[in-house]
Formats: sequence, structure tokens, C-alpha cells
Amino acid sequence: MAGAAVASGGMGERVDWRLAAPLGLTYLAFFAAPFAILLGISFYADSEQTRLGLDSWTKFYGDAFYLKVIFDTLKLGVFAVAATTLLAYPLALLFRGVGPRAQRVLIFIILMPLLTSVVIRTFAWIVILAREGVVNQTLIRLGLTVAPLNLLQTELGLVIALTQIEMPLMLLPLLTIMNQTDQNLVDASRALGASKWRTFFRVILPLTLPGWIAGATLVFASATTAFISQSVIGGARLVYLPALIWQQSMVVYNWPFAAVASLTLLFTVLAGITALGWLGRFAKTN
Amino acid sequence: MTDMNRRDLWTGAAALGLAGLLPLRAHATGSLTAAIYPGTWEEAYRGVLAPALKKSADIDIAFDALFAVDQVAKVRAARGVPPFDCFVLDPGPAAAAMQAGLFEPIDASKLANASKVPAGLITSHAVTCNAQVVGIAYNPKKFATPPKSWADLFKSPYVERLGLTGFQTTFGTVSIIEMAKAFDGSIENMEPIFAELKKAVAKVAAVAAPAAMPGLFQQGQIDVMYTNTNTVAILKGRGVDIEFVKPDTGAITFQTTLHIVKGADNVANAYKYMDTAISAEVQGALQKQPYNMIPINKDVTLVDTLDIKSIDELTKMVTHDWTKINPQRAAWIERFNKEVTK
Repeated sequence: MAGAAVASGGMGERVDWRLAAPLGLTYLAFFAAPFAILLGISFYADSEQTRLGLDSWTKFYGDAFYLKVIFDTLKLGVFAVAATTLLAYPLALLFRGVGPRAQRVLIFIILMPLLTSVVIRTFAWIVILAREGVVNQTLIRLGLTVAPLNLLQTELGLVIALTQIEMPLMLLPLLTIMNQTDQNLVDASRALGASKWRTFFRVILPLTLPGWIAGATLVFASATTAFISQSVIGGARLVYLPALIWQQSMVVYNWPFAAVASLTLLFTVLAGITALGWLGRFAKTN
Repeated sequence: MTDMNRRDLWTGAAALGLAGLLPLRAHATGSLTAAIYPGTWEEAYRGVLAPALKKSADIDIAFDALFAVDQVAKVRAARGVPPFDCFVLDPGPAAAAMQAGLFEPIDASKLANASKVPAGLITSHAVTCNAQVVGIAYNPKKFATPPKSWADLFKSPYVERLGLTGFQTTFGTVSIIEMAKAFDGSIENMEPIFAELKKAVAKVAAVAAPAAMPGLFQQGQIDVMYTNTNTVAILKGRGVDIEFVKPDTGAITFQTTLHIVKGADNVANAYKYMDTAISAEVQGALQKQPYNMIPINKDVTLVDTLDIKSIDELTKMVTHDWTKINPQRAAWIERFNKEVTK
């Protein structure tokens, strides 16, 4: 690419390349090299790393349990994206409709969760979802349930917590693009007789799709790799890839197996992101 | 607004840099980096041991807060460039680190307090700094009678309120081994306990990460768990309704040990650090609230908040051979994962 820039005599492009070099070289040294080491380790057959072979790969992909772990991790990401989407769109539409002062207040409320550490947010959810927590006490006092519900250590509880924790990642790109959409297009759609729902699905949704894809990518990547929330709220009965990697590398010291799990997580998240990217391109061509 | 040019900035930065260097040159004769468990251990060693070592030997300690498994992983990953001088480890990770050759040998003659420690607690590569006692903890307000044995944990009404944790930690591993024995199993045959776990897992109040257990107990999510006396004393100190029970087959004990990392920079200081850690002064202070650590120095008189009466009591408790446990642990962890997941 640099060669093409020089050939075309574009001075500006050559400068661009040099400015990007420090970051590029940093990535090369601190991402590409460790990645190569990770890939190398995954081809050791035993945990002592004495013998080469595909044993770790065949053990991981030949065992229904680990395939289910991959599936569950993906499922968690999809649930988090779906839940944040359902809650973020109404809020984004509201944001679009209000004045600048109300917008500033909304932005502050949306950003607030990002100002506290993820550990604190996660432990706060234990207090809220526990048997004697706020949710259960309210339900019991209202007479809606006799025995406290089990919300902690369930997939539902984890999705609820992740939805709140990841919400800003979905909202921020969505709000930016929502503010850029031309109100005239919405007005035209309404004036031509389209219902509110039709206007939303045929005008607003397609126009804001790039923002949603950016948000969904962030939420998906963040939810599938949310080690703390997954292990603290999800508990040991829900095994996801991040916890499995920690267990295999730190407790069992089976680094080849942990490397296989790490690469699987990396490619699983990448596959999800690529799928979302395709969706964006598909939406544009239609 | 004041005008500030580049030269002013440089002068200012240089002055700050020098100011930062000065106290170092003026004081400390030595320094040391020691790994320490996060939480109570870090507070205890920062609050009690660091000032004592500063006073007696003028050594500054930098603490690296890491769990035992993380310490071993970090030293292994560093491949010969030790990230710290001293480990603090439980028997499982200690046996693994010993096997991987991560320790310098210990010369007990360099420890002034060595004679104050019961025989066998200072070995060729380890200095015991603390004992842990593991048993059953329960909420006395929720049950008319306390659970008495490991087998009771799998019976109603306890099983419905039990918090289960697996083989990731030392206390979890040894507790489950004792449960296996209660169902006619052994270290060599864990099948009976896996069968019981499989039956119990649908009924229990929670299956969670070991670090989450105290929080779940405090929140009333679970009312029975297996844990060490240290955790029980800390929760009690915070006003939680919790009591410790020694199972009928006896409580479990194991040692927490200090080690010098292979190739450490500050070996002489590491000896002074370990010597201070086992001194009567430090051990006496660490057994009190809020630290509640069981001392191993014979000169220390035990306080009554510890759930044990004397250091001799430790010799009658159940112990385990980690060289037999470690080779099987990976398989147990995998089996536990598979049996308990939904």
C-alpha cells in the first residue's frame, strides 16, 4: 500500500503511513508476536509442552462439552445484543425528540455506568439479584411470589446484568447516528401516509443500521469476553470460554489446551463481528 | 493565565524527578518485592509486617497482590526473570511450583525464629507462616441443629442451602476429598462423591467461584459452605450470622508457606522478611481481628476468636498429600465442570 502511495506521488499518503508506523509496530510486537506464540503453544500435545501434536485441538473439538461451551458463549453474546437493542432503540428515539438540555442530562445518565468499575457494577448486581436482594424483597412484599426467585447463577440473571453493564456501548454509536439522520425524511414518510411503525422500520431503522452494527459489535465482543460478570453472576454451573481459559492456564497449567480455548474464543468473537459486518453490507446493497 | 514555555516545563519535570529520587537515596538500605494474596493477607502484611520489617532491618517491601495459582503462572511465564522475590503459597500450588523448580533452597540457620516454630514447618524449600483450618460454616439463625458431618451437607435441610465450589482452590479440593471419604471414596477413588455431587447439584443454593462464596453467604444466597476459619472470623467481624463446625471426622488443616523465588535478586532481604513473618510479634498481631490468622509461633498465646485452642490441636487434624492430589487435579476439575454445568 505504501508502494502504491509513493508511485502515485501522493505526499499526503506517505505521511499518513509514517504517522501510523508507531502504532503499527506496537501492534506487531505486542499483538502479532504473542499471537504467534499462542498459536505455537496450541500445537503441543501435552501440558508439559514436550511433544508436538494436535491432541489439544482434537480433545477440545471432539468433546461435546466444549462444543456446548462455545455455543453457550455465542448464545450469551446474541442475548446481550438482543436485549440491549430492544432497550436502546426507544431511548435513542426519545433522545432524538428532546431538546439539547434534556439530551445533555440523558447523555450523563447513559455514561454514568461507565464511570464505575465493572467489578463494582457486577457486585452491585449480586446485591440486587440475591435471594434477599432488592428484586426478591420487592416481589415478596407485593405478594407476587412466596419463595424468593433464583436469579443469581442463572443465564437470565447474567443477561439482565450484562444488559445494564454493556448498555452504553450500544447507546453511544446509536445516539450519534440517530442525531445525524435527517428529520425531513421522517416527516416525508409520515406525510406520505406511513404509520409510525412503518416509518420506524422503513426509514429510521435502515438509516441507523450502521450505528446499530457498531454498537452490536462492541456489545457482542464485550459480553462474550466478560470474565468477571460471567464468573461472579453466572456462577460455576454456566461455563463460558473466558472462565475455561482461566481455569486451564492458571489452575491446571495445561497451556496448550488453554491456547486452543483462547484461539477459539478469538475466532468465535471475530466470526460474530464479521457476521455483523456482512449484515451491514447486505443492508446497504438493499 | 500564566505563560509557560518548554524550558520551564523541563525544569519543573526535572525537579519533580529529582524530588522523587531523593527519599530513596536518603533512607532505605534494602528493598524486596513479595507476592501476597489480595484481600485480608495484603492488608495484614502491609499493615503489620511491612512496618515491623522497616523498623527492624530498614527494608522497604513492594507487594504484588496475586492468588497462589497466579503467582506460579506469573513466575513460569517470566521464564527465569523473577517478577518478585518471595512467594506465599498453599500446598497445591506449592507442590506444583516445587516440581517446576521455581524455589531457591532454604537455609534455616539464617532464620533467628526457626526454633520457635514446631518441627516440620520449615523444610528444604519452604517456611510455614500460617496454618489454615477448613471445615463447615453455617448460619445458626437458619438451622435448629448445625450440620455435623461432611455427609450432612448432602442431606435436607442443608443441601438446599449449600454453596458448592470445585477443585480450583486448596480448601475446595481438600473439602471434596473429605466428602468423598464420607461416602466410602478416597483420593484414589472419587467416583462416589461425583455421584453425590451430580445428585445434589440440582438442589443446592449455588455453585459458584470460590472467591464469590463469602459474598453469597453475606447476602443470604447460601447458608452452608465449606471454608476456612479465617473467612468465618472475618464475616463474623462484619456482623454476619455464621458459625464454624469441625466435622465429626475432624477439621482439615494445611499450611501457608513462604518461598524464595528461583534466581531472586534480594535473597538476604527475603530471609529477613520470612524471619519477621514468623516472629512472635508479627504472628501475635496477625491472629487478632480483622486478620484472624492462625499463628505457628510457639511463643504466641492464641486469642479466643480463632475457633482453635492451641497450636498442638493442628497436629490432630486431617492433612493431605498434595503430590498425590496434583496429578489428578486436572481430571477432577474437568469432571466437576461436566457434572455441574446446566
